[in-house]
Amino acid sequence: MRQGILFIILLLLLPIAVAVQDLLPAIPPFQARILLLPVVFCFGVMALPLVPSLFFALATALVQGLVLLQIQSGQAELGLTVHVVFFLAWAIVLQMASEATHGMRWEVHALGSAVVTLTLLGIEFLVLCVRRGGFPLEMTVLLRIMIPSLASVLIAPLLYFTLRKMVPVFIEETHLPKKPTFSS
Amino acid sequence: MKKIQIASLVILAVLAIAVCLLESGTLTWLQSGLLGVISPISRSGSVVKSTIGTLGKDLLSLDQLQAEYERALAENRKLRAENNGLRDLQRDNDHLRQVLGYRERSSFRLVPALVLGHDAGVWWSTIKINRGSADGIAPDMPVITDKGLVGKISAVSGNISEVLLITDENCKVAAKVEGTKEQGISAGSRDPLGEMRLTFLSKLADLQPGQKVYTAGVSGGIFPSGIALGMVKSFHARELDGEAILEPSADLGTLEEVFIVTGAK
Repeated sequence: MRQGILFIILLLLLPIAVAVQDLLPAIPPFQARILLLPVVFCFGVMALPLVPSLFFALATALVQGLVLLQIQSGQAELGLTVHVVFFLAWAIVLQMASEATHGMRWEVHALGSAVVTLTLLGIEFLVLCVRRGGFPLEMTVLLRIMIPSLASVLIAPLLYFTLRKMVPVFIEETHLPKKPTFSS
Repeated sequence: MKKIQIASLVILAVLAIAVCLLESGTLTWLQSGLLGVISPISRSGSVVKSTIGTLGKDLLSLDQLQAEYERALAENRKLRAENNGLRDLQRDNDHLRQVLGYRERSSFRLVPALVLGHDAGVWWSTIKINRGSADGIAPDMPVITDKGLVGKISAVSGNISEVLLITDENCKVAAKVEGTKEQGISAGSRDPLGEMRLTFLSKLADLQPGQKVYTAGVSGGIFPSGIALGMVKSFHARELDGEAILEPSADLGTLEEVFIVTGAK
């Protein structure tokens, strides 16, 4: 029941993250953007058990795919398949990371957010290069990939601790690390 | 693994495949739905953002306000003078266009819209505006400012729309260079410096920095002719054609208000 409520809260956070990231100003001088969706995604898949986290990954893929949807000549330029495979794969990896660190940790969440953002932008760039042709891998492109990833590292702890404060009761029963006790 | 988990994974697999197989029509419909969901957050967030933005502006000293008032007064006088001159030009322009039979192409029905925010997509240049299908907005309508072309509508919801900017690689515009017979196709680039590339020009084109570029308004196209598109920054000949780098006429980084061209008057 509590996992269900957490799942719904996380689902509601997805469109909010999209709206808020659009309102955030670009980072000069290369107009890099701050992406919140990967940060919310990482929190969700690490806080939820395996099966719900996969459903959450699918929902994230759908939202991200629709946000970036551009129809060219009747075809979606970046179809949903790329995002579905990407987010499902990362959900499994982050679940394994969560298991390896005996529960959800803010450091893993921050690192995961950065890596997911980096790989997401990298894969989108590669797919666009295949679709449109050319491979303009210049410094501005690299910075546009790296700056949002670095920004994710800084934003991830804020989201992590805010959500823990807001919904502690739901998260306690899922993947948060258990506090060490003297008896253990 | 429990039976319920296996069943859930089977449902997930079916859903994932179904999502991957969605057709462009369904995707557009879903995108419109998502825009509708985020519309209230975007709209209220935009209001908060502009309120916060104006807070600093409001906190001016009396001296600054006096200077600002005098500057505005001087600008007002200048604009009045320019306006008088432009009225004569408008009359002449209308007359000439009437003679040429192009009047219907020269004047547009415009719907004003506020920019809600620049989209965070890294590889696409898009903005969201506070007008949608409820205001008569439809995909592919041109979007302009008083300075020039901004882009075209790429997605529409009830009261919010997405605009694909002219600096996006996918926004292709037929364009002509002022004072020459050169015509080409302008598009943005993936290397996101806010510039456009005007290609398919003659290799021998004699283009100089500062020359203005306007929409060519080809038949069957979506952009009417004669809208300012940008200014030539540089020109170089390639193997088969010439390419000019353009700077957009409209300042796309600081857009606050735009107009959607819904049709001819």
